[in-house]
Amino acid sequence: MATQTFAKGTHPSADDPHVLLEDDYAFYEPIPPYPPRTEREAEFYTLGDGEMFLNMGPQHPSTHGVLRVVLKLDGERVVDIDPVLGYLHRGVEKLVENADYHQTISQVDPLEYISSLFCEWAPVTAYEKLLDVEVPRRAEYIRVLSGELNRIASHALFMGWFALDLGGLTPILWSFIERDEIVEMLAALTGQRMLFNYFRIGGVNGDLNHEFLSRLGDWMSRAVGQVDANTKLLNENEIFVRRASGLGVVDQETAIRYCMTGANLRATGIPFDLRRTHPYSIYPELEFDIPTRSEGDSLARYLLRMEEVKQSLRIIDQCLDKMPDGPIIAKLPRLLRPRPGRAWAAVEGPRGVYGAYAISDGTDQPFRLKIHDPSFIHLQAVGALLPGNLLADTMAIMASLDPVMGGVDK
Amino acid sequence: MTALARTWDHLTLPGKALFILIPLLALLTTGLIVVIALFGQQILDILIFNLPIVRFVFAATVLLLLAPPIAFVIIYMEMKIIALMNLRIGPDRVGPWGTLLSTIHGLKVLMKEDFTPTRADPVVFTWAPVVVFSTMALSALVIPFAPGLFAQDFNLALLYFFAIGGLTVVGLLMGGWASFNKYSLLGGLRSAAQIVSYEIPLTLSVVGLVILAGTMSLNKIVQQQGVYVDITGSHGSGWFLDWYVFRQPLAFLIFGIAATAEANRTPFDLTEADSEIVAGFATEYSGMRFGFFFFAEYIGVFIISALTTVLFLGGWNAPFPFPRIAWIVDPGSLGIGLLFVVALVPLLGTLLLAAPFYLFRSQTRWWVALIVGFVLFNVLAGAVFFVWMRGTLPRVRIDQLMGFAWKWLLPAALLNLFVTALGVLVADALRGGPA
Repeated sequence: MATQTFAKGTHPSADDPHVLLEDDYAFYEPIPPYPPRTEREAEFYTLGDGEMFLNMGPQHPSTHGVLRVVLKLDGERVVDIDPVLGYLHRGVEKLVENADYHQTISQVDPLEYISSLFCEWAPVTAYEKLLDVEVPRRAEYIRVLSGELNRIASHALFMGWFALDLGGLTPILWSFIERDEIVEMLAALTGQRMLFNYFRIGGVNGDLNHEFLSRLGDWMSRAVGQVDANTKLLNENEIFVRRASGLGVVDQETAIRYCMTGANLRATGIPFDLRRTHPYSIYPELEFDIPTRSEGDSLARYLLRMEEVKQSLRIIDQCLDKMPDGPIIAKLPRLLRPRPGRAWAAVEGPRGVYGAYAISDGTDQPFRLKIHDPSFIHLQAVGALLPGNLLADTMAIMASLDPVMGGVDK
Repeated sequence: MTALARTWDHLTLPGKALFILIPLLALLTTGLIVVIALFGQQILDILIFNLPIVRFVFAATVLLLLAPPIAFVIIYMEMKIIALMNLRIGPDRVGPWGTLLSTIHGLKVLMKEDFTPTRADPVVFTWAPVVVFSTMALSALVIPFAPGLFAQDFNLALLYFFAIGGLTVVGLLMGGWASFNKYSLLGGLRSAAQIVSYEIPLTLSVVGLVILAGTMSLNKIVQQQGVYVDITGSHGSGWFLDWYVFRQPLAFLIFGIAATAEANRTPFDLTEADSEIVAGFATEYSGMRFGFFFFAEYIGVFIISALTTVLFLGGWNAPFPFPRIAWIVDPGSLGIGLLFVVALVPLLGTLLLAAPFYLFRSQTRWWVALIVGFVLFNVLAGAVFFVWMRGTLPRVRIDQLMGFAWKWLLPAALLNLFVTALGVLVADALRGGPA
């Protein structure tokens, strides 16, 4: 693991004239050990007394997706970490530049595979700004309704994962009841279980149907009770609370410095939620609270997300109540050629702010689409949070920030 | 001859094996019968003359043979109970109600590739599972399962149990060190730290009980929890209030917690914490070597449950005065009893575990099913408790684990010992001099 370092030109083979004289047409030269590119890398890959490297991932059973973390350990204590990204890189932002505006929606869909609707929502809103179209009100209501359902599904999965990384076996299967129910009803609405490809520029793809509404009504009648039962499994568990509290504490200054958003920021006490601070869609018409907590540790982040689930249930209730009639998609031509210009749109997803920055040059393909993904932003904080903790807590801290590697690597 | 050759060509591989084995077995059986008929009396004399040795060898063999079926039963139970807690169905394909699944897992492990990492230490790597498994099996030698049904009973049985049981850590450390894997190494070191720490409160918690019992012989400890006769007369009421759990409740609690840690079970399963160090010391193991680790874990659960029963829950004594047939069994009948157990335990275990599911499905009257279920629950209650904990609790952290052992369990065990000793002194003084 440890890389032997050589300054430029000091590798044993560099000055050896025989290396190239052996054979002119076919020769062998060993690749020298990779020289450290930065001072930081050189410092990290130098072992101190009693330290060792541990390569966690990309095939470790509990990294969320394919993340590789090189840990520098002193016994069980983490001294330093070096996260290695890129195992899931698919070049989505480049692919998008070669697709027309409608096709890009299915390209950005698998970025954040846990809550796909929000990855669609941000670029779609940016395109709407470029095209200057008005989204029908019914479409906005359906977007909010399906989006909040997706938020609950994502938070349910978070709860299971977090418990699993702390060694709890059962909660993930309990939380999958909720997620599966929601995923099934979204499949009835959108036709897909995971990568929905549902939002369209100027509206949504299909209207509410009978199966979706009956499943939703059925689930809403017992949702609150089930969410309570699931959270009771962990909230009153002494071992869980002892392990999660005081773990990976982020204070307000650090959170702002690392550009944290979403539940991770609100767990430090800053009530920043795009749905209230920069209202979009129909959120100004709805009643809901922005829960915050002041501790900033893993337990606070977990409890806050569970609180958000209840607020989402409130929003879904109001959406169903106020759902207007009308068209679900604006009238637009098949081939879109937006006016040249730049547009930025952001939505509040379950992990934080999803942003999309789109540049149009007047053709039918976006000139550039930059995705701002909260998972990538939050993963940066891991470097600051991990050192000093025990090996057992590395995955728990990472899980409490709730990153999804699909969004990190794009 | 040609017919035989043609038949031989048409046989499949297992058929060929049976073709050879059946005559061989017939021959051996006949020989055995002939030998017994001719020299039966002499053989019997030699065996009876060396009864302790015969008994030990026989019991050790039987325990080693019993180990896999016991592990199979407990593994099946664990899979089924955790499935119920996780709102799943659990195994239901192989055999009646999936009861044979763990057996099939055991056979599958036999057939898997036995892989040794390139830079591992092959000798230590190979012997580590053997050490773990054999220490687990050897510590079962002193556990009395029924009156007369034990391999050895001597005055230091309890000490022997802890000494041999503590040797397990050597095997785990060997496996962790020899695997040439940092996860294995961490797992091995964790197990060393954990088992050595929890050995102390585990042993100290039963010292109070030993003071009360006046012996370390497990057989005598069980007898004292029921009706028994000695020089001073008849003792005990035969009711469950005589069990040591009511005389040593704190010790029972400490023992239970420390035993969980000794058996490496959730929430103390840090040695094989899958979300932290992949599979701990067993990361690089495959095939039957992994199978030995796997068996050892479940046999550990069984033995710890058995020891808890023996020490605190009255052993073989019924919870109420029960007309006993003959509870000091003639040693001569021991062989037959053990043979019976070996032949029937796997079968009975499978059937017993399947019975409640069957009864509930077949619409028998609900109270019949309930009674059967209740009896079985009592039989395997200790193991079920371990499984229950695994299904519910997350894992503790290593510093919390150590802190708990040294800051809470050890003082509590010492307190228990102190109070017990004081109580015995006071009782003796009141009675007028040591008994």
